[in-house]
Amino acid sequence: MKLRKQFMEGLITNNPVLVQVIGMCSTMAITTSLFNGVGMGVAVTVILTLSNIIIAAIRKIIPDKIRIAMFIVVIAGFVTCVDLLIQAFVPALSESLGVFIPLIVVNCIILGRAEAFSYKNGVVASFWDGIFQGIGYTAVLVVMCVIREFLGAGTFGGGILNGGDGIQILPEQFPMGMLTLPVGGFLVLACLIAAMQWALSKSKNKEESK
Amino acid sequence: MSNEVKTKEKVDMDPKYIITLTVTLFITCVIVAGLLGLVNGVTAGPIAEINLQKTQEAMLAVVADPDNTTFSESPLENTQAMTDAASAAGGTLGDIYEVQVNGEAGGYAVTVSASGSQGTIEMMVGVDASGAVTGVSVINHSETSGIGTKVVGNEPTASGVGVLDQFVGKSAADGTLTVGTNVDAITGATVSTRGITTGVNAALAAVGAIG
Repeated sequence: MKLRKQFMEGLITNNPVLVQVIGMCSTMAITTSLFNGVGMGVAVTVILTLSNIIIAAIRKIIPDKIRIAMFIVVIAGFVTCVDLLIQAFVPALSESLGVFIPLIVVNCIILGRAEAFSYKNGVVASFWDGIFQGIGYTAVLVVMCVIREFLGAGTFGGGILNGGDGIQILPEQFPMGMLTLPVGGFLVLACLIAAMQWALSKSKNKEESK
Repeated sequence: MSNEVKTKEKVDMDPKYIITLTVTLFITCVIVAGLLGLVNGVTAGPIAEINLQKTQEAMLAVVADPDNTTFSESPLENTQAMTDAASAAGGTLGDIYEVQVNGEAGGYAVTVSASGSQGTIEMMVGVDASGAVTGVSVINHSETSGIGTKVVGNEPTASGVGVLDQFVGKSAADGTLTVGTNVDAITGATVSTRGITTGVNAALAAVGAIG
């Protein structure tokens, strides 16, 4: 029952990107092809889960006054590990995400969840929190990628399908290249957040009227 | 008297507590550093291999006739004049390999880096015996995904020529290459294009300073 609540929180009611509005920088910057979105999502989910587990495990011995410094050391350690592993075993991903993998260190989702959740909860709950928040983040990235790729380049599955070029759906002259630029990221994200808030307030009203 | 009390309040942190803080943070750092060392040990080999392979591929990509081309085993020794020439042009000189076409000296493959929009772009510039560029390819970069990466991926500029391909045939005789005058940029990625241009200038300058 509690798991289900955590799952719903991560994916919908307390979605890191659309409701908590954290992790904006990477969301905007890398969501230009499906490959980037999935890769970034998985990398963040792994790091978030690991750092959540470790922080929950050592939360009793972390002195309150230096907790942020401790979080950052743990997070930076995991990010560097994942960065090295990606460079060694998935070079294509490291090439296309570039500097945004090391920058996961300052992705507020991870520090935010450490402070808001795993510092106050047990290891198991923190593990699931990492997984579900990560899935919520990945889901938003994938939706952003699909929309921006489709409208901006007219393709689907860039970087994965059709030998990396993606499947061309719209004719070449139709897409608006603007959507793959940062401004397109702002527009798509704004629309998603608006849609999410509308849906949330609607379901809230429904519950109240019952 | 009241002053004394105030000072005492300021230093209400127990020295023991401060030591606990320091030791906890120190131990965490040591553990994390150990973990990083371990991961680095596992990944250093594959990463070096990938970089070596990238260098080889990049060298083959920038010569005019890849099938009949070989490269010197080890890079040339960079002289002060070469390094200075490259820095004067705005780039940093890396390794220079001699190119042999059908066994004869056929120019150089120059690794050079210059700053792009997000960080340093490391690239390979092929220069033939007459001093003209035979090709440009990017080895390492951290340009913005979807924008600067267009330059790295050699996408065509407004004139229809690949942004990296447009350098082919240019030589020191063309004067300093500049985006906007004799180099076309990719829309939205001017800074990345400028980085490549700086690199090419530096490579040509370095080759000009050889022997």
